[in-house]
Amino acid sequence: MASTVELASSFIEGAPPGELADVVADVQALTEGEDIIPSLLPAFKRYNEAQLATVKLPGSSQEVIVSGFNELEDNRYFDPESQTSFEVDHTTQTASGAQSYALESEHVDLIKSLLKSFGVHAREHYPNCSYGVYPMENDTVIAIVLVANRYSPNNFWNGRFRAIYQFPVSSSSSTLTGNIHVDVHYYEDGNVALNTTKPVNISVPSVSAESIVSRIAAAERDYQEALNRAFVQTSEGVFKGLRRQLPITRQKVEWEKVGGYRLGQDISGGKGR
Amino acid sequence: MADAQFDSALDLLRRLNPRDTKSNLQAITTIVPDLTEDLLSSVDQPLEIRRCPQTNRDYLLCDYNRDGDSYRSPWSNEFDPPLEDGTVPSERVRKLEVAANESFDVYRELYYEGGVGSVYFWDLDDGFAGVILLKKGVTPGSQSSGEWDSIHVFEATDRARMSHYKLTSTVILHLANKTEALGDMDLSGNMTRQVEVDLPVESDASHVANVGRLVEDMELKMRNLLQEVYFGKAKDVVGELRSLGPLSDANRDRETQREMIMSMQK
Repeated sequence: MASTVELASSFIEGAPPGELADVVADVQALTEGEDIIPSLLPAFKRYNEAQLATVKLPGSSQEVIVSGFNELEDNRYFDPESQTSFEVDHTTQTASGAQSYALESEHVDLIKSLLKSFGVHAREHYPNCSYGVYPMENDTVIAIVLVANRYSPNNFWNGRFRAIYQFPVSSSSSTLTGNIHVDVHYYEDGNVALNTTKPVNISVPSVSAESIVSRIAAAERDYQEALNRAFVQTSEGVFKGLRRQLPITRQKVEWEKVGGYRLGQDISGGKGR
Repeated sequence: MADAQFDSALDLLRRLNPRDTKSNLQAITTIVPDLTEDLLSSVDQPLEIRRCPQTNRDYLLCDYNRDGDSYRSPWSNEFDPPLEDGTVPSERVRKLEVAANESFDVYRELYYEGGVGSVYFWDLDDGFAGVILLKKGVTPGSQSSGEWDSIHVFEATDRARMSHYKLTSTVILHLANKTEALGDMDLSGNMTRQVEVDLPVESDASHVANVGRLVEDMELKMRNLLQEVYFGKAKDVVGELRSLGPLSDANRDRETQREMIMSMQK
């Protein structure tokens, strides 16, 4: 049987956008008497990196991403745009110990121009987002990462949009691969979740910031349009096929006339048929 | 502290992915075994189908037709696996149950055009109670699927020539879609609504018609609500996360509009 720590870890990692603190409070109530939080640290870290958690840099209002792509060493991450490294407390999602950090990469110029072009694109389409561009795999691959959150707990909904792309920088042309994820949670008198994963696979004719960002912008637009169409198609297809709004006769059921009883029939005499 | 733990368990299930309610419920009751009984009777899960060996008809399983490890078929009134002394309704309430099953079978055909339904009634000191279950699944293409589970629990309390009805309805709706352009899309969840009303009762037959109309009205309301939340609200939130058009255009439009209003107010 799975241990309490394993089960509680799966709850942490399954927390919907913007509701980690609520899930933590529930887990604490269910495991009362145990000091379980320290043993959930690996789950918090996996959640933060997978969900592209954002933390405020100390002394700044800027929110920067925590991911597997910009980790330096244990719990220390870097942000190329502000040229800062920082330590993350995964349980509280807070940053401390900021230090200046010079990017170590042969592709510093490309990364800087990607940050600039991608930043313009991100600000044009995501009202509340954070993004990063990071060298990885011994400087052979560049990762472009974006997260956009909107939380409205007073209206019982929260949402998160994540886009994660990678491309090798060795050759002149390249293929960009990655995933777009949209997660929406609505929980007024119920619990409704939208979870999507869209794999992205785009060939890029030349490894330049402009050409890469314009391909990304087109892929994201195409995806949002496909998703909007899917809402309409599902509503008019599968949903209608499950339950009609009215019977084919357009009349409601005449309950007095269906089934075994007729109104006024003496029930002590049985069904009488 | 048990009450607080029960509330926390319900809160957690309301937050975690509704697609995984069954496994999350198991996980919670593994951590706090004392909550098992209460959670099983208050958390709705997709209904399971079983075939009645006596009548060869399908029926639905829930906590209300369960006795130990056996389930009672609404068609035969027998438990499977057989039970010597399984709890069955009184003769009067069983007659009502048979009639309600016949009526809701017609209802199911009219609205669902298929699927499976079951109605279970049981006796109360001052009336009776019951649950109406409806289930339908569709897989129109190999890449899309939908599953609807309705669970309507009611209590009918006797009053003079009237009955007081309290209905709690939950619909569990799971939808999945997969195409090249879309990738994987999963839209799943459940919603619950309650209604209380006093209605006239001439004879026992009135109960079936009263409950029938209550459930019919409730399902219409809930279908509209589900449509609004699943396809309207969810799409709106996606639009809040990402704007299809450039935000600078939207901001400029808003600025222009603001200036226009300002100039009109002068």
